[in-house]
This record gives sequence, structure tokens and C-alpha cells, in this order.
Amino acid sequence: MMMIFLIILFINLNAQSNDPNEIVESVITNFNQVRDYEADIEIKVDVEFLKVPDSKAKLYFKQPDKVKLKSEGFALLPKDGIDFSPSSIIKGNYTAIFERRENLNGNQTSVVKIVPINENTNIILSTIWVDDKHKVIRKIESTTKTQGTFTIELFYDSEFKYPLPKQMIFSFNLDKMNLPQTFTNTTPKSSKKRFKDGPVIGKVLVNYTNYQVNRTLSDKIFENDNE
Amino acid sequence: MLDLINIEMYKIFKKWRTYIGFIALGILVPLIHIAMVLEGQNTINFMTRNIQESFVFVGKLLNTYLISYIILTSLAVHIPFLITLVAGDLLAGEATSGTYRLLLTRPISRTKLIIVKFIAGFIYTNLLVLWLAFLSLVVGYFIFGTGELLIIDGQMIIIFESGDVLWRFMLAYGFATLGMTAVASLAFLFSSLVENSIGPIISTMAIIIVFVILSAIQVDFFQNIKTYFFTTHIMSWRLFFENPLDVKEILKSAANLILHIVVFFGLTLFIFRKKDILT
Repeated sequence: MMMIFLIILFINLNAQSNDPNEIVESVITNFNQVRDYEADIEIKVDVEFLKVPDSKAKLYFKQPDKVKLKSEGFALLPKDGIDFSPSSIIKGNYTAIFERRENLNGNQTSVVKIVPINENTNIILSTIWVDDKHKVIRKIESTTKTQGTFTIELFYDSEFKYPLPKQMIFSFNLDKMNLPQTFTNTTPKSSKKRFKDGPVIGKVLVNYTNYQVNRTLSDKIFENDNE
Repeated sequence: MLDLINIEMYKIFKKWRTYIGFIALGILVPLIHIAMVLEGQNTINFMTRNIQESFVFVGKLLNTYLISYIILTSLAVHIPFLITLVAGDLLAGEATSGTYRLLLTRPISRTKLIIVKFIAGFIYTNLLVLWLAFLSLVVGYFIFGTGELLIIDGQMIIIFESGDVLWRFMLAYGFATLGMTAVASLAFLFSSLVENSIGPIISTMAIIIVFVILSAIQVDFFQNIKTYFFTTHIMSWRLFFENPLDVKEILKSAANLILHIVVFFGLTLFIFRKKDILT
């Protein structure tokens, strides 16, 4: 009898919670140990209609939602991918639904659907893959009202002290942009440059290095400096 | 030969109309600079408003490169007018002032005279484009500094690194000079036909305006034949702001312009050698 009790206790201790709110809260709590950080980032943009050179920049973050991108040259990041903090991804009132458990790239994850209740938010539905062991988000898929869908994949070092990724892959599909024709570069072959109809698929790869965490960043860093 | 060219240059710069082009650019480019100091950021916002919906970006996009590009885009159609003011007068001016016969009694062949006058016109064209480059790039550098160059190329946005831009401008200005030389050649040809420089100036501009209008009409027929218009290839300096560079297309455009220059010059030479000088 005692043996059965111990087995049940052991199973319960090791079992992962299927409570979606608990899963989400565990990720947010884990991330909250990061009060602020700065990191060097390398950005590679692979979008059909956007030819941008690979760039280096510095990314600053301070809880709860301050983010600043600084670069000596030109640097560009997707708006939805600049801040990967869970509280930014899962903000406002929402309904969380536990979907399933899934092995994602060798990591056991809980798949949770997040439905924002607030009508003002641009996101209709998000699905997050939460690493059961490390309590970090490994993948996010979101559908927006105006800008199609996007996926964020986050990759971490095998041993990490803080829940901060070493790499992010941001994939999205966007409707083609209507560019102002005033400044259009018209050459004899301009008429040949036509993209196929339908949304454009794009990818932005960001590598993070030299994290400096909890150094108490000044608020001045996040002020607009017309950069 | 060099002496003859010097004499022709002296004659060109002796006329006040030669300075109209330099003065016009000297007023216009600083005005654009002032406008960009005041409103440049709005222009950047207008160009990037669609990117801003989906992306956050940093960088110094309001710089001398962007402004020089906008100036070159705006003026490449209008500079021909300033070119024709001088090129159209190269031969007709001699007829107007009654110096043709006097000139041709000197021990200099008609062929040599045409070559010398053409070279003088070519030098003037170069100087005008160089003046434009100086005002746009160099003066702009002291006002705005350098930075990345943002180009909207059809349905595509291209951003060039700061270090990847200057050589493109050098080649673009070089190509613009080739285009302007084609215009000067046409004005030079008309100049050999008449005895008053107003005719060549108006005729050249009329041809340019007609070609530009036809090229702008979005009908397949005109879109197909516009590749044969030299006015289309005048704008091919923009090909240097593509990534990757379409060398084949650049060479095609350069060949088209050179062919026009050779044909216009050849016709001028042919006509002038046969011309009965009565003034």
C-alpha cells in the first residue's frame, strides 16, 4: 500500500501541469528574473521586396516593456519580434487553452493557445510552445488582424543562466507593400520587375551575443533620440 | 587641336547664356537642401511609411546620398534644357553672328572644326554635370553627412550600406554625362541645320518632351518601343543603384547612347561638310 502511494506521489511530482494558465505564469515568472538586459545582435533579413544589408546593432530591454534598438548604421527588426519577453507576447486579458504536448527539436514542450480577450489588440490568436523543463518559450505562432501570420522560433544555449535566446528566427507573410511612386527607380527594365501575386514570405534571423543582464539600465537609453 | 579647343571654350564661356545652367543649378540645389533640412524627415517617413507598419528600424537615412539621388532623379530630365542652351548654339551661333565664312577661311578643315566644337560642347556638358555632383554630394555632405541610401526600385526597397554608395554615384554621374552628351549631340546636329540657335534648342527639347510623354503612356505599344528612345536610356544611371548590378543592361543602355552620339555626330559632320555657307 505504501509502495503504491509512493509511486503515485512520484508520478504526480514528475507530471507536467496541463493547466494552461499555470504554464503561462511559470514562463512569465521565469523571465521576470531578468530585470533588464543589453545584447549585441546581428540581423539578417531575407524578404523578397526588401534588400537590406546584414547589420549589427545593440538591443536594450528593461522590464516591463521598454525596448530600444541602437545601431551606428542601418538596422531593421520586425515590430512583432523586437521584444520576445513573455509578458510582451502574452499581454492584456486572454484565455489560455492547453492543446497538447509536443517534442520540438528534442525539447519536450506544452502547446498552449492564447486567445486575447481585448478587442483592441492586433493579434487574433497565438500558439506558444513552452519548454516544460526550462520554462521558456521555444516557438510562437500568431495570426494578426492586419499583417497576416508570423512565427517566432527561439533557440537557447544548452546551458543558460537567464531565459534569453541566442538566436531568433522570425518568419512572416505580408501583403505586398504599396510603395510611393514618387521616388520609384524607373529604368528601361523596371516594367520587368513584378513579384507574383499573393502574400510575401519573409524571414529575419537575429543572433544575440554578449548579454549583459540586470545591470540596472538607465531609462535615458529608452528615450527617443531621433536615431 | 588643343589651342582650337581652348578657343572654342573661350567662346562658350564668353557668352552669358553658358552661365545660365550653372546659376540655375546653383540656386536650385541649395533650395532643395534647405527644403530637406526643414522637411527631410517627412520625406523619409513618406518613403518608409509602409515599412514602419511592420518593422522598427534605426539608421541615418536623411543624408547627402539620398538627397543627391533625389536631385539627380528630378533634374536628369531638366538638365537637357540647360545643355541645349549651349550645344544648340555651337554652330548656329556662328551663323547668327556672321562668323562662319571668316572661320572657314582659316586653315582649318570643316571636319576638324566640327570635332573641336563637339569636344568643347562635351567639356561644357561634363562641367555642368560635375557642378551638379559638387553641389549635391559635396555641399550636401557638409550639411547632412553620409549614411545609408534608401532606394525604392519598382516594388522593392533597397538599402545600400554607406560604404557601398559613393562609387555608384561616381558611375551614375559618369553615365548621366553620357546621356547629356547624347542630348548635346542632337542639339549640335540641329545647330548645323539652321542659322539661329533658338531652333535647335526648341527642336531638341520638343523631341525629348515627346519621347518622355510617349514613354510615360502605359500602352504596350509605347512601352515596347520606348527601349529605342535615347531618353529612356538617359535615366539608366539608376541602374547603378540596383543590387546586384545588371551589367548587361548598363552596357546595353550605354551602347544605345553611344550609338545615338555617333549617329548624331556623323550626320552633323556629313551635313556640315556639304553645307553651302552663305552667311
